[in-house]
Amino acid sequence: MAATLIRVLIADDHPVVRVGLRNMLQADPAIKVVGEARDGVEALELARSLRPDILLLDLAMPNVAGMDALREMTGGNLETRTIVLTGLIDKRQVLEALQLGARGVVLKDAVVEHLSACIRAVMQGQYWLEGRPVQNLVQVLRDLTAQTAPPPRRTYGLTGRELEVVALITEGCTNKDIAKTFGISEETVKRHLTNIFNKLGVGNRLELALFALNHNVLPAAEEK
Amino acid sequence: MPDIETPLIAEVYDQLQRAMAANPAGFTELYRDYLADAWQTLQTLREAVRQHHREEICATAHYLKSSSLVLGARRVARHATMLEETARKSDIEEEVALERIAHALREVQDELAVRLGGAVIPAGRTAA
Repeated sequence: MAATLIRVLIADDHPVVRVGLRNMLQADPAIKVVGEARDGVEALELARSLRPDILLLDLAMPNVAGMDALREMTGGNLETRTIVLTGLIDKRQVLEALQLGARGVVLKDAVVEHLSACIRAVMQGQYWLEGRPVQNLVQVLRDLTAQTAPPPRRTYGLTGRELEVVALITEGCTNKDIAKTFGISEETVKRHLTNIFNKLGVGNRLELALFALNHNVLPAAEEK
Repeated sequence: MPDIETPLIAEVYDQLQRAMAANPAGFTELYRDYLADAWQTLQTLREAVRQHHREEICATAHYLKSSSLVLGARRVARHATMLEETARKSDIEEEVALERIAHALREVQDELAVRLGGAVIPAGRTAA
């Protein structure tokens, strides 16, 4: 009995890329290319109608972008396993793709070298990242989450109220606005500003706003 | 940093050629289509730069990067990436980035002409 072929759907907006991938995959006797999609909408339609084993999904496509298509696929109760094709490793993007259900990520300049092996690994239930099968996805997700976390917020010795004043300054508020917001006098606002200027080494409101934006010196969202 | 990449990554070219060994004419056609599309895309990029259409520059440079990476024209891809990033930052280096892409693309075309002969040169283009 002949082995079952791995049915692959290619989704990429670039015709040359589709032709290249198709020719390359057709040389593999275990793989059959069952369709090609030019954008995210077509990818979703063909995935639903053709029910391929593997969807090769370019992340940067017109109409529905790859990540949105992946989101739709995840909620679509399809057994198709998605392998994301990307031009560069953006760890945040990789993390998001994995969280949305992608089973592999292959760099476009490595498709010739890795794609067949990646497809086989994914068909065997493995994940594929950085040119090899992943043994411990939980660890990978934990590492990626740590690497993509925003840098810790620095307060530069500012008090909670001073941080709130800085936030309003960056929004363009006047001393009067700030005084009204906090129910304090304009004199108190000026004292806060003097302290803030001294602590941050800035000379005026514009410098303060720029410093705050460049150095993430703002109250965390939940503190506002 | 010195530019140590070759115009065309030999490993990618060789593997793709092996994968398409049964269809050598298709292989040449694939690279000819790539060159024709890349030169056309470069023209679109020049026009977008001239008109300061930053979103179009980003999208078109990204498009060029995609096929260049898959077919091993990594230097073209790198310069396309630089143009994409330059356009995102609203910088003024776009003309320089364009010329770098054109130069890298000519190098790819010249190397392909040596490997595959004149048939790989798209219509309207000439070998070095």
